Amino acid sequence: MPSMTRNAIVIDLNRCIGCYSCEVACKQENNVALGEYWSKVLAVGPTGTHPHVEEYWLPTMCQQCEDAPCVHVCPTGASYRDPDTGVVLVNKELCIGCKYCMMACPYGVRSWNAAEKCVEKCTLCGQLTSQGELPACVKACCGEARFYGDLDDPESDASKLLASYDEADIHHLTDVGNRPVSAYVLSPRFAEWKSGD
Amino acid sequence: MAIQWSLVLFTVLTGIAGWMFAGVAFDSLRGKNQPKAFLAGLIALIVMAVGGIASVTHLSHPDRMLAALSHPTSGIFVEAVLVGLAGVCMIVFIILAKRGASAGAQKVFAVLGAIFGIVLSFMAGSSYMMSSTSTWNTVLLPIGYLCTSIPGGLGAYLAVVGAGDRDSARLLSIGTIVGGVLAAVASLAYVAVTGFPASAMAPLWAGCVLCGGVVPVVCGVMGMKTPERTATFGVVTLVGGLVGSACFRVIMWQVFALAAVGAPYITNFAAM
Repeated sequence: MPSMTRNAIVIDLNRCIGCYSCEVACKQENNVALGEYWSKVLAVGPTGTHPHVEEYWLPTMCQQCEDAPCVHVCPTGASYRDPDTGVVLVNKELCIGCKYCMMACPYGVRSWNAAEKCVEKCTLCGQLTSQGELPACVKACCGEARFYGDLDDPESDASKLLASYDEADIHHLTDVGNRPVSAYVLSPRFAEWKSGD
Repeated sequence: MAIQWSLVLFTVLTGIAGWMFAGVAFDSLRGKNQPKAFLAGLIALIVMAVGGIASVTHLSHPDRMLAALSHPTSGIFVEAVLVGLAGVCMIVFIILAKRGASAGAQKVFAVLGAIFGIVLSFMAGSSYMMSSTSTWNTVLLPIGYLCTSIPGGLGAYLAVVGAGDRDSARLLSIGTIVGGVLAAVASLAYVAVTGFPASAMAPLWAGCVLCGGVVPVVCGVMGMKTPERTATFGVVTLVGGLVGSACFRVIMWQVFALAAVGAPYITNFAAM
């Protein structure tokens, strides 16, 4: 794949307090329908036995896969990767509502917009980032656990966060060949990563 | 992901239409049952068309379907092309049959239509081979789609032509026996590879094996013994094949939520 911007969100789970502010901010900013989510926070755990019990929160959203299955299966090209930002997007004008992308997404982070009868997903708040602002979920995170930026730019907030941790602390959702770009930081002193590598 | 009944109907009907037209091609090549060639070809075409329409009902914006021309490698596009090619061959064949045109031309379009139809019954399953879901990402899935289409298709053809030509009836009855065995084996193999307890889907895989496998085999044997009742056994085989074929596809949808890589992250499958 030709080199391009790899904009993504990196989440420091060591700092995530599970307040769900990111979910709410996303729905508010993007007018996501009741019952649908572009960003979802899942509780992983609690696991272990007292007194050695641990739990962490896993905010999920489009992982901006380098080899995005949703783009491959889309029959009309409605799901595509923006050549300028590298962000996987949905052109609603081309979506025929076949839902194949929802089947192909390994993380179930695509939503069905019943009103517009098409699929939609996290856009990394392109309407904000194109104006130099941060995605709504990043701005709203009271734990300052979410970082946005180009992972190929060492000066981006996301890259700086990853650079400050050991490789062993950096995780990705299960990779079935789609190479998710979004990353998570979770140190063993807080909890053991359980969501697959 | 909830069961997408439009897609179940689409793959069941187009699979049966493809294999029914394979029966037409079989007799066309042998020059048998020609008085029934037009009717059988017409019914196969109608079933194929109804199946194609069923797939369109799955789409929320079919008016934008032409945009698929920009992405001709997708599964949906391949399926649409195969439906179109099979349909065109069927139309040409029934016109040739109606007008009593040359047997050679009829054979060409009968064979081409059968090939497109049979390939479609496989490709309709291969479209679901996605790395996101381990129970879908196996070649046993399209093989199951193909094999479970055989009994219903051949049964439909036998129901139309009956015992007109005894030799054809006997050979096609053997076809339903082989098809029934293949459907049952393919269904069981797929259930086994999903890794889920068979008891969890007992009614469904029993439907695949009993209706889609045992019924066609029994009807095939009975049809060989009493060829004058071939049409009746064809109808029963068709019904069994329909049920077995549908059960196999429902199993596929049922195991999606259980095996999707993202299952731990997905909380609202039913709403998808």
